[in-house]
Amino acid sequence: MTATDPTQIWDPSKPILEIDHLSISFFTRLREIPAVMDFSCRVMAGESMGLVGESGCGKSTVALAVMRDLGKNGKIVAGSIKFKGRDLTHMTEDELRHIRGSEIAMIYQEPMASLNPAMKVGAQLAEVPMIHQGMPQAEAWALARQIVADVRLPDPDRILNAYPHQLSGGQQQRIVIAMALMSKPALLILDEPTTALDVTVEAGIVDLVKALGEKYGTSMLFISHNLGLILDVCDRLCVMYSGEAVETGNVVEVFDKMRHPYTQALFRSIPLPGADKNSRPLVSIPGNFPLPHERPQGCNFGPRCDYFQAGRCDATEIPMSDVPGDDRHASRCLKWTEIDWNAPMKAKVTKEKTPIGRVVLKMEDLQKYYSISGGAFGGGAKKVVKANESLSFEASEGETLAIVGESGCGKSTFAKVLMGLETATSGSIMLFDENVQSTPIQKRNTDTVSSVQMVFQNPFDTLNPSMSVGRQIIRALEIFNYGANDQARADRMLQLLDLVKLPRAFAERMPRQLSGGQKQRVGIARAFAGGAKVVVADEPVSALDVSVQAAVTDLLMDIQRENKTTLLFISHDLSIVRYLSDRVMVMYLGHVVEMGTTDQVFQPPYHPYTEALLSAVPVADTRVIRKRIVLEGDIPSAVNPPPGCPFQTRCRWKSQVPGGICETLMPPVRVLAGNHQIKCHLPDAVLAQMEPVIKIAAE
Amino acid sequence: MELSWGPIFARMVVQFLPVWIALIATFAVSITYRRRLGLYGKLFDSPVGMIGFGLVMFWVFTALFADLIITHDPLAQLSGLKNAVPGSALKDTKGDALYSHYLLGGDALARDVFSRMVMGARRVLTIAPAATLFAFMVGITLGLPAGYLGGKLDTLLSFIANLVLAFPVILLFYLLVTPEIRATGIPIVLAAVLFLFPIIFMTILFNSRYFTNPRQRNLYVGITLAIGLWAYSGLAFNADPTGIFSMDPNLLNVFVSVVFVNAPTVFRIVRGIVMDIKARDYVAAGQTRGEGPWYIMLWEILPNARGPLIVDFCLRIGYTTILLGTLGFFGLGVSPESPDWGSTINSGRKLLTLFPHPAVVPALALMSLVLGLNLLADGLREESLKD
Repeated sequence: MTATDPTQIWDPSKPILEIDHLSISFFTRLREIPAVMDFSCRVMAGESMGLVGESGCGKSTVALAVMRDLGKNGKIVAGSIKFKGRDLTHMTEDELRHIRGSEIAMIYQEPMASLNPAMKVGAQLAEVPMIHQGMPQAEAWALARQIVADVRLPDPDRILNAYPHQLSGGQQQRIVIAMALMSKPALLILDEPTTALDVTVEAGIVDLVKALGEKYGTSMLFISHNLGLILDVCDRLCVMYSGEAVETGNVVEVFDKMRHPYTQALFRSIPLPGADKNSRPLVSIPGNFPLPHERPQGCNFGPRCDYFQAGRCDATEIPMSDVPGDDRHASRCLKWTEIDWNAPMKAKVTKEKTPIGRVVLKMEDLQKYYSISGGAFGGGAKKVVKANESLSFEASEGETLAIVGESGCGKSTFAKVLMGLETATSGSIMLFDENVQSTPIQKRNTDTVSSVQMVFQNPFDTLNPSMSVGRQIIRALEIFNYGANDQARADRMLQLLDLVKLPRAFAERMPRQLSGGQKQRVGIARAFAGGAKVVVADEPVSALDVSVQAAVTDLLMDIQRENKTTLLFISHDLSIVRYLSDRVMVMYLGHVVEMGTTDQVFQPPYHPYTEALLSAVPVADTRVIRKRIVLEGDIPSAVNPPPGCPFQTRCRWKSQVPGGICETLMPPVRVLAGNHQIKCHLPDAVLAQMEPVIKIAAE
Repeated sequence: MELSWGPIFARMVVQFLPVWIALIATFAVSITYRRRLGLYGKLFDSPVGMIGFGLVMFWVFTALFADLIITHDPLAQLSGLKNAVPGSALKDTKGDALYSHYLLGGDALARDVFSRMVMGARRVLTIAPAATLFAFMVGITLGLPAGYLGGKLDTLLSFIANLVLAFPVILLFYLLVTPEIRATGIPIVLAAVLFLFPIIFMTILFNSRYFTNPRQRNLYVGITLAIGLWAYSGLAFNADPTGIFSMDPNLLNVFVSVVFVNAPTVFRIVRGIVMDIKARDYVAAGQTRGEGPWYIMLWEILPNARGPLIVDFCLRIGYTTILLGTLGFFGLGVSPESPDWGSTINSGRKLLTLFPHPAVVPALALMSLVLGLNLLADGLREESLKD
């Protein structure tokens, strides 16, 4: 290999970033933990590379290694990272400082954590060229203003003089992107840049990132767990599993002609548009992600692979092998030439749809207002937050009702009122013909309490970390007066563990010894301890990895089928909602804007908000053609909702309504064919003209 | 014959033999099984923590084995040894009944400094941890509802806590121990109130968990109340019929004062942690299955607040030890003859320029214990953050 002269002018036809056989380990006091092994990838100028994989697969570690920011425990043990032909692994701190932030910039998941809360946005932005290029202050501010306009923020002058906390999450993330672009970097690393944001905001950011990449010719390393997002943003991708790249290639080729069993399994575990829970159940990947120090011999994916062949797959380390004919497409599989990639999925047992029974839960005109005080000392004018406005719906036995909406739409408040943690301001909640709307949970009888239970969102938070799994389930049984003695409760607890398909030995474990999916299963077992009839699942799988999501979703469905439970499924993930729900309720700013069966909601006519929501969800399927509708602006605050229709500030159909009544008049609930409800002023003729957002291209 | 420093140290090392044996045994067992001992075991991965733990345990074992270690009766005065320098030999050993030397010299009343220092460890280590524990009971019992329920209760309790914190500690102590104030019975009332908290705490603790099973609940709560009220009658009012639980009125004063000034700080720490933890999903899960607020506070929140509380507990013992020393230094509290380190430093300071050893020895002892507690707390904090 010829020695590279650092002063030589870099040739744009060569890769910007070239990672060669990179291995990274973390050193703890017990052992060396290999985080990334033998990772190679190449990013050309102007290309965007996606790194995709489940949590713990090492994708963020690669990004941090490029920034040489592995902390004191992390070390690059082998391989090289070449940026514009210069090896980053051998650079001094001083040289690195020149490159970081000026030639390579990084955008992190949590925007607020990347901004200095005590500095004005403009000062933070201007700092970048002032430090790296010694630009005069006035010029730097002018550049900051231009870039802020480039990231499509309204009123740049006001934004520059604002502090980060005065901006919304989406605006903050745009500022972080602007900061990264201030010095016109050659390489931009984005580590899950939209995970903390709502889908409609995410769609805006994704569009922005793509447009900026084209405008400035920046190369990108885009890290995400969301395959749909990768398809939207990237040209090439690299699928990682347990510290290794298992497949790499052109995005379209990998999506359509995957050549690694893990990639295939990953695609089979995510719901696709048009799929239904009873006809095409999700296929979860069996087993668990191996811990870094317990990786198997040979192929890391071997123990979970359908095509595993003992004695061959677990014999030697497996190198990447090129897929001939494709564009730099390679797979880390010994058997990829032998597997029939076009074989249909193994026929799964088609499950019967649960018959929908009598109405168990009926809400009528439910309202929940919070009053907050204006001043710091309780003085000042009282303000009212209208968290829920005139919510009416009913849910029947064995039915899955999905409640869809972004943060601040009032879905959590609704859950709290139903559970009895808060009491409703007005309206009625009929639970099994019993009115519970003004009964707080302390005054509800045990039967009512045990029949309405909840599954929480965050698996790392749902279990008490200092109580054993068995003890937590037994406690729920005790409180629900189940069983005559401790023995009966212990037996029931073991049965519940069987129900959620966890080994009985887990009863003794502490929550920290469990993976996210396993914790979520314990949470489900606990919710069903008292034979719950109505279960509110608040985004139960959104924090889990895709391969685990499928398993947990299926488990919930199985238990529902068995117990005829009414499931209220709160989510913002429309693909999973479409997959499993019978009816869908779309909420925006405390109002139900659309409600109907899944087919009605997912097909035109839409409420304009539903339409935007549908188009914002990334779909991991190259055959799907989506109409891009990017909503302008952010969700208005519930303290100060816009007059008239709550959605009018962001609605693209507003001009179609005669007389501008959207801005003055709250739309009435209109009942269309088949009891499909829409809260919109749009005339029937316009509604009828709406085109479907998602189309599946004919093959 | 006088001893030089070499033999003095050699003899002291020999005197501390039971402590060395106990320390070696503790470390050997702990290091062997450290992987199974949770946070305590992790402590042995941190040199700082180990040094701190070693220092603390040294004084704990010294307090335990004080009777074996001392060379003389800490209150006995031997003629001719007034302000004797370290290593002075006894003039009359009365046969072989007495140890031949005052290893660290004699004080102004011709008592053995070494033995007093060793016995002082016992005094300090009984009062400081117990007072800290009581302060924690009070702080936790009030801090939990303040943080969890919030509202007016929180405003009121926080206000009272700030009031106590804003009052100068030394002045407060002087007030509490002046005879006029004591005649009004305020310390007794304070003791009556403060000592009630541990009983309330334990009772609620068991009741909230076992109320679903009345038989078990009655058993635990019954035992708690029986022992608690018995001890309470003895400690707070000196009215224990059997006489097992009793507290010297002077000691009671000191104890109450220390608890009184420490509890508000603990209250604020607990309140802060609770406000953070109450937003967790497992707390919401408890609420949605209809748990009472006290169960959630004591069984769902408190165990998860233990990390910062344990660290603060260690630091607070150190602080209390210094506080006791300060009190002793001002001549407050414990009896004048008591060998506790604070009083000894105080009595030694009068002749400090001429004979520094009677004051320096307990000062060094106090310093090493507090240092040990601080290092231990540092080690615990550091290790509890790692995985």
